[in-house]
Formats: sequence, C-alpha cells, structure tokens
Amino acid sequence: MTPHETIRPMLALSAAGLLDAAGERRVREHVHECAECAAALDELAALSADLCRLPAPMAPPDLLARAEARVAEELAAQGGLRQGATLAVCAGLFAWVATLATWGLYRFLTGGAGWLAWLVLTTVPAYMAAGAVAVMFASRRRLERSLL
Amino acid sequence: MIYQAASFEDLPVAEPDEIARLRHRDSAALAGVVGRYQHRLYRYLRRLVRDPAAADDLFQQTWLNVVREIYRYDSRRSFDTWLFAIAHNAAMDRLRRKTGESLEESGCQPIAAEPDALSAAITSQRTAILALEMAGLSAPYREVLTLRFEEGMKLEEIAEVTRAPLSTVKSRVQRALETLRERMTARYRKEDLL
Repeated sequence: MTPHETIRPMLALSAAGLLDAAGERRVREHVHECAECAAALDELAALSADLCRLPAPMAPPDLLARAEARVAEELAAQGGLRQGATLAVCAGLFAWVATLATWGLYRFLTGGAGWLAWLVLTTVPAYMAAGAVAVMFASRRRLERSLL
Repeated sequence: MIYQAASFEDLPVAEPDEIARLRHRDSAALAGVVGRYQHRLYRYLRRLVRDPAAADDLFQQTWLNVVREIYRYDSRRSFDTWLFAIAHNAAMDRLRRKTGESLEESGCQPIAAEPDALSAAITSQRTAILALEMAGLSAPYREVLTLRFEEGMKLEEIAEVTRAPLSTVKSRVQRALETLRERMTARYRKEDLL
C-alpha cells in the first residue's frame, strides 16, 4: 500500500479532529507533497466547519412542559408504588407480630392442637388484606396525582 | 488545513448538585435539567429519527427512562454521555421497529422531500443544503456526525453513547464525511451545469 493510499482514509478523521498527534503529523507531511490529498482535506475541513453551523431544528414550544408533566406523572406513580409497598411490608410484619403475640393464648386454650391450620388462618387473611390495602392505596395516590 | 474543533464550552450541562437532587426525585432539579438539555437532546433526536413527531415522543421517553434509571448513573462519569446513550437506545428501538429506516451503515435513504430541497436551493445556503444531504445519510452516519460536530463529543464518548467499538466509530465518521463530500460536490457540479 502506497503512502497515498494509507493517508487517504485518514483525511476525514483529520478534518473531524479525531486523529492523534502522530496521525496528524503524518497527514500534514503527506498533504504538503500531495496536491490531491491537500485539496480533499481542504474540502473535508470546510465540510466539518459547516457541520458545526447546521441550522438546529427548533423544539416545539410546549415540549418542555409536556415532558415535565409526563415525568411528574411517572414520579407520582413511583411514589405511590413505593408507599404501597412500604404499607404492605408494614402490614405483613404486623400480621406476624399479631400471630406470635396470640400464640400463647391459643396454646393455653387449645393445648397447641391444629397449630398449622391456626397459623394459616391467622396469617394468610392478614397478608391478603395487607396486599389489597397496598394496591388500593397506590391506585388512589395515582388518581389523586392525575387530578392535580 | 486541519479542522479546528469549534468551541463547545457554551453547551449547557447539568450541575453535579442537580444530578444529586435528581436522584432524590426533586422535581425542581428535574425541570432544570430537562430545560438545560432541551435543545441539545431534541436536536440529536431529530437528526437521528428525522420525524418531528417521533423526536418529540422520544424526547419525553428519554426523560422517563432517565427518571427510572437514575439510580444506575455513576456520578464519576459524564452525565451528557449517559443521557445521550439513553436517548440512543430509545431511538434505536424505534428505528428498528420502523419500516424503511436502514440501520446499516451503507444504507442511504432518499433525502426528505423535493420542496425542502427546492427551498434549500433557493435560499442558497450551503448549510441548509448540507443539512438536507446529511438527512439522506443512514442513521449510524447521521448519529456520529451530530455527536461529533454538534455535540462536540470525543471519539470515546461517541463510542460510549452508540455502544460501538472505537474502530467502528472512526470508520463511520470517515465514511459519513466522505459520502457527504461526494454528495455536496455532485450537487454543486449539477447546479453549475444548470
């Protein structure tokens, strides 16, 4: 491959300011001797300068407001879900604490017979109720935010 | 003559404390950041997808993704690069779904419409014609050109945004510029003959 063929693909990168110092030096040395590459580099450099001055497309005037509104909605939804999840965790913990707290009483009254059924009957409804409350809370928060 | 990179110091960027507040979902910080990047992000998306309605929608989608993913942002890295990478992903998803848009580097679409070409020629503005020719390039070429020349990004930053190897970015910049040069030369030669 001749020096001309090697340098030729580097001209565009030089024009774009993307060559390292060694590459730039090679290009400069070559264009000093090669009129064809010098002309090509001039054209590419002018093109690069023009690309920095392209007319920018104008954003619609209400774009900012619409984007902010959409993001605010998302933030509100995230907030609602977080609060709902927190509530569900708290309700679940409460169910466990209530179950453990009443275990002594249950054992005193029944002698501990059928403890598995008792455990399921006391915890599952509590968890279901906690989940339902959390979902309802999150939905209500989302509705409230959308009405603002 | 070697191209002298334009000064991009006046490009609006996010302040570090704004980003920290954004992490805590501060709506004022969010409004500030969205406003700061409004024109830059919209311009990038318009260059990439060309359609104003699609760019509008992608602009909003990008900020939604920013809010969803802000916890993943590493503050030691550039927020600009992270933001544009999110916009790039959203735009690429859309372009892949859209028929007729080539994501191949060699793919060149017919340029927008004759009225635009006519108006550009009437105004005789080289940059307007150049914008029109750039719009006719394939999406990967348009993208590297706008990131380099309008956003002033370095090679490594462009590679990070586009998730492409450095060698690919270099070859895209090179081919995009050479294609544009050929087209501009052909256009001016044709006009000279008229």
